[in-house]
Amino acid sequence: MSAENSTTVHSGLGAAPGHASGKAYVIRYAEDIMAVPAGSILVLRILHPHLAPLLPRVAGIVVEEGAILQHATTLARECGIPAAVGVRNARELFKNGDLLEVDGYTGKVIARQLD
Amino acid sequence: MKQNQVTIAGSAQPYRRHIVGLPLQRSLFDQAARAAATIGLPGLTSERDFPARLDQNGDLFLDRSQVAALSNALASWFTPESLELMYTTHAAACDALVDASENAARVAASLDGTSARKLSEDLANRIALVITYGILSKFVPDVLLRALKDAGDVEPPPFPESTASTELMRDMFALYQACGAFDYTPQRLQCEWPGVALEVFQLVRQFCKRQTGFGPLAWDSPGYEDPNYVVRLLHSAFDEVDTQQVRQRLSFSEKPAVASSSIDVPTKIAALRRVLGFWLDFLERETWYVRRAFYVGMIPLLRQLAAGYRQKILAFQPADVLFLDIRELAAGTADPTVIQTRRNRYMENTEYLLLHAVDASRLASIMGAS
Repeated sequence: MSAENSTTVHSGLGAAPGHASGKAYVIRYAEDIMAVPAGSILVLRILHPHLAPLLPRVAGIVVEEGAILQHATTLARECGIPAAVGVRNARELFKNGDLLEVDGYTGKVIARQLD
Repeated sequence: MKQNQVTIAGSAQPYRRHIVGLPLQRSLFDQAARAAATIGLPGLTSERDFPARLDQNGDLFLDRSQVAALSNALASWFTPESLELMYTTHAAACDALVDASENAARVAASLDGTSARKLSEDLANRIALVITYGILSKFVPDVLLRALKDAGDVEPPPFPESTASTELMRDMFALYQACGAFDYTPQRLQCEWPGVALEVFQLVRQFCKRQTGFGPLAWDSPGYEDPNYVVRLLHSAFDEVDTQQVRQRLSFSEKPAVASSSIDVPTKIAALRRVLGFWLDFLERETWYVRRAFYVGMIPLLRQLAAGYRQKILAFQPADVLFLDIRELAAGTADPTVIQTRRNRYMENTEYLLLHAVDASRLASIMGAS
């Protein structure tokens, strides 16, 4: 139903090992956390501890802020969810529904934007 | 390293936008300028030793050059003794805040105005201290990690084995299951809340009480103290989810073992790992400390103080105390015109309100929260 528009590759840091793919769900406002689709790739500025209960339903995590020593790393590792951190401007780069592939070993994120 | 956290281009660009909007909470950030003194660094203390400040819009500013200078000074200061001092000072500040919050909750209703003001100032100072540690946490763990590598440590960072976040996850999953036992799916719970079975109502309220403190840093943004927030988040987290998958992800028995210091590890490395481990745990709890202190300890005190203000100023609303700064609160002063100006500025900051999901009734609801 839709044609592939473009594929882009973005680099971050591998924060929690594994590979994941799914549709992007971008958290911009506090209210956005109330409708996280199952199996999505969560894209956010920073993963705060109070968002922990949402993690079991997501496939992967992409965080803008870069550092191995942060909430996202600890949380994602504990849940076994592939995560890339330090993907700058991720909330601007990706929009809801974009297909993302997250490599939690290298921090690479491949985005396929669809019409 | 946390490059985009600490390498801010000068002080003109905010490090974080709109992090804290309420004047009362904003006023607690003033102590951030005394960070080195807070951490107990002899020789690093100066009139203004840290580049953090919060402006009227609630934007946080850091200065890269000063962060770098403090990081370098810190790295050269590490000895087993100084690290022990850092650890004990930090742990004591966190423990003291928890104790002070619980104490305030116990005694607030019986205090007269003078005692309530004194206790609220004391609690505010303890909150401010932990806020300072929170700002330090943006770069101190990285400095510690670098020091560990420089000292020859090859182990992974000492991530906590079980964090506050995992406890929260487990507890919320348990709530989901407990509500399910009463035939309340997340969707039904959200649709019918608060008109649900008494047992379910109590389960949610008890969960909120246990987990008060989790939520955004901004006190006015809803968090786990609010049953409506919890019910909606429960729906977002567990609606139509694969329960087996959740169980699997909540099963932490297969976690890789966390490297820990042993007696064979050189003393400095052991001390660095211990302190870094504490900071990593603190990263999970820094907001919890500040938020729980407010909802558990400060709110009961503020209610007392609001009642006192109302005797002097007829139009005073309970939530007006949130528009005072801590100095005004401690002195018992309040200028209705100033309060109104601050309230107007706050309510006109629609970007902030949207960012933090603050609706028109939120402030009154905060002051009415139990």
